[in-house]
Amino acid sequence: MFELEVWMPGFTHLHTVSGFSLRYGASHPERLAERASERGMDALALTDRDSVAGAVRFAKACARVGVRPLFGAELAVAETEAVPSARRRGPVRGGAFVDESAPRVTFLARDGARGWGALCRIVSAAHAGDAPSPRLTWKDNHGDGLVVLLGTDSEVGRALAAGRPDRAAKLLARWREVYGDALRLEAVWHGREGTGPGSLRLAARTVGFAAEQGVRPVLGNAVRYADPGAGPVADVLDAARRLVPIDPRRELDSGEAWLKGPDAMLAVAERVVEAAGFRREAALRLLEQTQATAAECLVDPEDDLGMGTVHFPEPHLVGAGRRTAQRALASRAAAGMVLKGYAGRRAYWERMHHELDIIAHHGFASYFLTVAQVVDDVRAMGVRVAARGSGAGSLVNHLLGIAHADPIEHRLLMERFLSKERVVLPDIDIDVESARRLEVYRAIFDRFGAERVATVAMPETYRVRHAIRDVGAALSMDPAEIDRIAKSFPHIRARDARAALDELPELRQLAADREKYGRLWELVEALDALPRGVAMHPCGVLLSDASLLRRTPVMPTSGEGFPMAQFDKDDVEDLGLLKLDVLGVRMQSAMAHAVAEVERATGERIDLDAVPEGDPATYGLIRSTETLGCFQIESPGQRDLVGRLQPADFHDLVVDISLFRPGPVAADMVRPFIEARHGRAPVRYPHPDLEGPLKETYGVVVFHEQIIDIVDIMTGCGRGEADRVRRGLSDAESQARIRIWFAQRAAANGYDAETIRRTWEIVEAFGSYGFCKAHAVAFAVPTYQSAWLKAHHPAAFYAGLLTHDPGMYPKRLLLADARRRGVPVLPLDVNKSGVAHRIELVSEKGGVWGLRLALSDVHNISEAEAARIADGQPYASLLDFWERARPSRPLAGRLAQVGALDAFGANRRDLQLHLTELHRGARSGGGGQLPLAGGRKTAPAGLPDLSAAERLSAELGVLSMDASRNLMDDHREFLRELGVVSARRLREARHGETVLVAGAKAATQTPPIRSGKRVIFSTLDDGTGLVDLAFFDDSHDACAHTVFHSWLLLVRGVVQRRGPRSLSVVGSAAWNLAELLEVRREEGLDGVAARLARPPAGDDGAAPADGDGPARARLAGADGRPAPAGSAARDPMEDRRIRMSTGYEMHPWADLRPAGEGPAVGRKLWHQSPGSAG
Amino acid sequence: MTILCVRFQLPPMYEASLPGLLGLLEEFTPVVEALPPDAALADLRGAERYFGRSAVELASVIRVRALAHHGVDCAIGAGPGPMLARVALRSARPGVTCVVPEGGEREFLAGRPVAVLPGVGAATARTLGEYGLDTLGRVAAAPLSTLQRLVGARTGRELHEKANGVDRGRVVPNAVSRSLAAERPFDRDELDPDRHRRALLSAAEEIGARLRAVEKVCRTLTLTVRYADRSSTTRTRTLAEPTAHSAALAKAAYGLYDALGLQRARVRALALRAEGLTPAEQASHQLTFDPADEKARRIEEVADRARAKFGPRAVMPGTLAA
Repeated sequence: MFELEVWMPGFTHLHTVSGFSLRYGASHPERLAERASERGMDALALTDRDSVAGAVRFAKACARVGVRPLFGAELAVAETEAVPSARRRGPVRGGAFVDESAPRVTFLARDGARGWGALCRIVSAAHAGDAPSPRLTWKDNHGDGLVVLLGTDSEVGRALAAGRPDRAAKLLARWREVYGDALRLEAVWHGREGTGPGSLRLAARTVGFAAEQGVRPVLGNAVRYADPGAGPVADVLDAARRLVPIDPRRELDSGEAWLKGPDAMLAVAERVVEAAGFRREAALRLLEQTQATAAECLVDPEDDLGMGTVHFPEPHLVGAGRRTAQRALASRAAAGMVLKGYAGRRAYWERMHHELDIIAHHGFASYFLTVAQVVDDVRAMGVRVAARGSGAGSLVNHLLGIAHADPIEHRLLMERFLSKERVVLPDIDIDVESARRLEVYRAIFDRFGAERVATVAMPETYRVRHAIRDVGAALSMDPAEIDRIAKSFPHIRARDARAALDELPELRQLAADREKYGRLWELVEALDALPRGVAMHPCGVLLSDASLLRRTPVMPTSGEGFPMAQFDKDDVEDLGLLKLDVLGVRMQSAMAHAVAEVERATGERIDLDAVPEGDPATYGLIRSTETLGCFQIESPGQRDLVGRLQPADFHDLVVDISLFRPGPVAADMVRPFIEARHGRAPVRYPHPDLEGPLKETYGVVVFHEQIIDIVDIMTGCGRGEADRVRRGLSDAESQARIRIWFAQRAAANGYDAETIRRTWEIVEAFGSYGFCKAHAVAFAVPTYQSAWLKAHHPAAFYAGLLTHDPGMYPKRLLLADARRRGVPVLPLDVNKSGVAHRIELVSEKGGVWGLRLALSDVHNISEAEAARIADGQPYASLLDFWERARPSRPLAGRLAQVGALDAFGANRRDLQLHLTELHRGARSGGGGQLPLAGGRKTAPAGLPDLSAAERLSAELGVLSMDASRNLMDDHREFLRELGVVSARRLREARHGETVLVAGAKAATQTPPIRSGKRVIFSTLDDGTGLVDLAFFDDSHDACAHTVFHSWLLLVRGVVQRRGPRSLSVVGSAAWNLAELLEVRREEGLDGVAARLARPPAGDDGAAPADGDGPARARLAGADGRPAPAGSAARDPMEDRRIRMSTGYEMHPWADLRPAGEGPAVGRKLWHQSPGSAG
Repeated sequence: MTILCVRFQLPPMYEASLPGLLGLLEEFTPVVEALPPDAALADLRGAERYFGRSAVELASVIRVRALAHHGVDCAIGAGPGPMLARVALRSARPGVTCVVPEGGEREFLAGRPVAVLPGVGAATARTLGEYGLDTLGRVAAAPLSTLQRLVGARTGRELHEKANGVDRGRVVPNAVSRSLAAERPFDRDELDPDRHRRALLSAAEEIGARLRAVEKVCRTLTLTVRYADRSSTTRTRTLAEPTAHSAALAKAAYGLYDALGLQRARVRALALRAEGLTPAEQASHQLTFDPADEKARRIEEVADRARAKFGPRAVMPGTLAA
């Protein structure tokens, strides 16, 4: 007898999936890494399904907790012999089953960069095929530097489960041929019965088979979740992936697939080897084999994934020829100096050389050339392009033609963008026309080649609404009920579901019967932030050298087929992949369309980039606050701010845009600035030295650049360092250090203690809020351009807006605005309307241009149909139109309904009848008599014409716009009965007056505000103008649900006025106007009275002087509305720039897309995917 | 004002009681036309004279008797013709008989939606609605030729007449034709084809047994699949020969079900309905040389007797026993 060694080999999970295995893994990679560390494991593999998207987060999390990461992926592999699947009949309802029959195999990278490269290649190859889901063909199934685990789901495993070791041996031989020694057989025991995956018998058979075949076995646990007890979550994910409900009578998740510790795995190993007929000690050997395999898979995140290094496109691709990139950049910059006429100015030369030095210091010359190349290409395509972001602060960028504004003139700093002290990848974003964004992408692919360019992934993660839908469907809940519950939530995180039920007044009703839904809430919260799909990031493009595909796997995007890297935007930065943000900005498209329309109709050529500065009409328009549709200044809060600020020149616009951010609002920079600007408060500087940077903003700090200057002046540390200091301010800990440093340095420079104290106060209050001036300048350019267009070419401007729909408001509101501004709205007409919105001369002598509605706005019209109709114009008769434009029957019907065929005579219903007969005639082979051939006019058939209300409803249904008149006009009488104040009359209302207002809801927001409370802002349109509403905490119980869930509103509130152009209504009670109208129609005024007498109408709001009166008054204005909205509200990259930082308390439920469906646009848009289950 | 249209408010599993209720009407007049599943037309022209009461008064008598004898409430519409009586029924409630006045047919109809007319289905109503002819008044006002262009020559003419209150129909006495239905709901979204088939088998068994109990055979079988989103799919098949044989019904039901090819559809209920019932003695049966068929029928006979004696669950197919 000899002693057993008391030695434990440890354990490494080689087969672990995270949430990045879409709708399969139930834990985040970070959580897995933490648990591995807690349970005493030194290494952990991440082998997500078809993806390595979690690798970067995983590597970073592993580094934090001291675990060595292994990288791999689990891929579906095509079956050796394709089983001819019996063609099933297409289901009449509910769609077909999701095919998950392909066997799956785990691949792990070993041998450093080679292994990672091979892994990337094999993952890309799996995605490249035509199969509906990623599948690796046998042809692509090879790779040096990979370890292959054949587990229970592989073909070999399945053969063993089926009791066919002979077949398993045959299949194994094929794998052995390719992978030789790198092959492992993976045994998994999940405590299941039988011989299927997870059963003890299959695990034992696998180990026995491995011994017999001389292949090394390893033990795995096919981990799907980090902690025990997550089996039900896995069941929900399975159901969501397969699109079927959970069937509790079938085999559910075993609950064993968690990240078990070494002890537990040793116990598993013992059971498995015993069952296989080996002695118990063999268990240690099994674990040893597993450990040895883990030890082979050495891939270092820094060296091998390339984290922390940068790869630019090769210089010869960006016009450097055979010179170095730096030389090429210098000569291009110098050429720019001459071209732009700065050659004689010393300051410019000095600045240029200074910047070139910094660029050379980092070796980023290729980057600048790359961006310049892209911008040149885009411009050559005739696409409007503009730089945004801090890059506008660089003179070199300006000289290369990347940025428009002259940074020296606008006092923009290079250091805010790039300095020697800061080692990060510079970031230049370019805006292009949204409608041509994909063209731009293609041009970039053509320029640099598909091996160097890829788009960036954007995981779509579970938030509360999707989580409720998927869990509800998995639990067999009633679809209508699921829909109702999901829609009653604002767009919040899934993990907050129960907290929201507790706290939000609009959910009170739902909260009352929350128990009814059982486990729903728990499961919803468990899905929080798990990726549920992956989409192409709307603006990121990766540019790299030819090694790109060895560093990231790519998959084709679903729509366009662009290669897309599996990493998201943060990951690619960590991986040192250069990302260029090419943002599609709808406003640019809208302006391009407006300019094109003016040229088409009048022959006048407008160069928007050369419109005269300081145009009085433009600033007059801006000051009037009628800025609907103007870039960045159209939101309710901005209109209010513009009204108070009264901008008079470009610089004022820059300030205005900078002030309307959460930071400046939180730091209360708005009021002092406005007071000082209008001379109501004196301009003060902490020290005369600081007058330079602070003068332009009346002593109030608005821009990042000013802080940099202040710190630089006071401490003499240089601007590069000053920018680093500025960045440090947002962190409380480093702020304390900076404070001491600042005091010392400033004192050393001879400033007295009082000055230092006051300056520090400013710097501290400012924190990291403020706004990058370079960014604001870049924004202000399109703001001015769009306002200029609105002032001088209103019809063309609206045509552009309606065609490209850039704003935060529904189209019908723009139409109402156009009508108010005296632009005639011309109805849809198949003989006159184009595919896009056009302008048309309405009266020769007045030179009045009208707006002709577009065919493309007709519901469900295809591009081809619209183009065919436009190409065939003019049409002589209905028959002519039918035969040449060949519209589909429903489309022709819709056109008739909205009057687009009125020119052909007869009424709209008669036209419908003729169309139907034409359709029938066409179907029956064109024979038969056509009842209206010959005459140009269509004969009447005696059907009743559409009534006025029917016409309006047809317009809303077909065009989503009330094209002929405002929809509120129909309710005028009832509103008069109620004594509702119109938006126009409201302008004369006194401060503090209690009024009733009504209108169609145009926008609703709950932005973060200063007090940390939640305020609901809403805008109503009543045909005469807009009414801005604010609802405070105390009215939410009564109003929130109504405001979120109805789209015609009647509101009682108190007028708040802070200036001639600044006005809003603080709501105290709200009713669904549509409902009241119904009651009025059916039960008369008494019915309405009965409805109003009912409780949930809030208490009387006529007493605003209750305690926090002044606070409210302030809140209701611009101070309270720092929404990052404006014309770019839909640009997803926009909010990247708005950071909530310390010291700024945000209401937990603020800044979310609120509950309900948003403003209705007339027809209920609802979706039912063809595959959605019955 | 001499035609009544009676709708009985029957509890589920109602078909069996309809013949009895028709018998009740037949005590007043022999001219009774069944409108399965739960209504009937009765021509009371003779009865008014015989009983010395008006049709409206008789309607109250009928209601009282239905309640007293069968415990079934009913709503009654009255009018000069069967079509008008049926339209009137739509506005009637138990206890409130709705009457179309003679001579006032047009006015009575004018404000009503087109869908109230018997014979105007959802499709026709939708078509008419699209052209603004949503009420019968508007239909009556539209030119006949236009109506015919809309819905076809014959339908157009009929529609025109009906909308103008011209009721050419009459009550045609018929035997209780009728239908039998069996529904199998699921307590969760059910996707499993095996469970679906079991439900169909059990429904077919039930229908077969009930048909044989009343000595009827059915000519057509209708399958309705109800889904989680409250929509449904309906398919009908005419059987090769009228039958009450459970196995034949089950086979037809399987055929209907398989044709749907359902995979991920979230099925909430399966319903079978046997229609075109005729007396069993009139049914023809194609004899075969295959003894299995004959055996199955004899076993069924025996099983029916066993069930009659020991209750409905005494004998059943093995797959349903679990």
